[in-house]
Amino acid sequence: MTPVRKTYKRNVIIEVTTNLMFPLILLFGLYVMIGTGGTGGGFQGGTILASAYILYITVFGHEKGREKMPESVNALFKSLGLFLYNGAGWICVLFSLATAQWLNMPAFWPVTDFVGVAGARSFLVGYMVSVGIGLTVMAAFVSQYFDLAWKEDDEMEGGEE
Amino acid sequence: MSLPTMKPLTYAGLITAILLIAVSLYAVEDIPAFGDENSAVNKYIKLFNVNADGLVEDLNAGVLPAEIKNKIEKMGFIKGPTCEGCQDENYPTLEEGNYEIKWIEKGSLEGGRMSEGGWDVLIKEGEIYYNEFQQYYFIKESDGNLTVYRYNWPVRVMEKTEEETFMINAVTSGLADYRGYDTMGEETVILTGAIGVILLLRRRGRL
Repeated sequence: MTPVRKTYKRNVIIEVTTNLMFPLILLFGLYVMIGTGGTGGGFQGGTILASAYILYITVFGHEKGREKMPESVNALFKSLGLFLYNGAGWICVLFSLATAQWLNMPAFWPVTDFVGVAGARSFLVGYMVSVGIGLTVMAAFVSQYFDLAWKEDDEMEGGEE
Repeated sequence: MSLPTMKPLTYAGLITAILLIAVSLYAVEDIPAFGDENSAVNKYIKLFNVNADGLVEDLNAGVLPAEIKNKIEKMGFIKGPTCEGCQDENYPTLEEGNYEIKWIEKGSLEGGRMSEGGWDVLIKEGEIYYNEFQQYYFIKESDGNLTVYRYNWPVRVMEKTEEETFMINAVTSGLADYRGYDTMGEETVILTGAIGVILLLRRRGRL
């Protein structure tokens, strides 16, 4: 018996709107993720980035969505974010050799030579830490959504291995 | 039983790991205990220096000299607005009878804090939060100068965040700097959740 695949009725309005909005949502997510000087933050930015991919997968299906976010890239982002965050703190531990706070660094060579301590700290907090958090959150949410979509697909195929 | 033979690369990795562990142990040695009231971060904030001429006798007699009082009030530690149309500050006033000055010996544990030897300015207010004398200011004599400190209260992060973390946003510096270990754990929890979902739901050949 051939598995009956559920076919979705195409809706042009939804597909065109998603195609239009997908890059804009990504751009807004980047803006929120990097804008830690204002109201942004890593967790929120990562969630907005993930929402763009989730919208895309919901509309076009997980097979087309996997082309936008391949599993190799997803796994890389998931661990790279944590490495970036922990690496920022670990670098500060190594350079100051004593830390009560997370980013306690009297001299972060060589970045401080060019931009000063304030610029180096802004770089660490605004880019390394926030982007690290955002990448991990985005990849984790997208990965969970893929897993759930695949599970639903498997159940529709009648438990076929 | 013979040990399994190791490749030279394995030895290099082992040595690197041991070095990293030694460095992190060395760094951890210097970390003050979390919430330790005697660590430099948590103890008090330095306010200003004044010349000690003739002020020590006043302090020993239990009177706060007018010079120190004026300087403290000039820094904005008053009750009421500091400027036209400003928000009201809620620091205790230094009126006569409102405070008490006490000499603290070096090394004595007063209020849970190890003292460095100096005068404690204890403040009593009629509020529920100040139903007994509270350590508020600390005056220390050294080299003919009196250094006035204010004991640390939870507002320290708000006052010192720009100076200590160079961030313009106190919320971000709180999230990523003062509470960085907390955020590290949160991120690890998210990654662990994703890995758990993968282990539970994903089938073979789905990568």
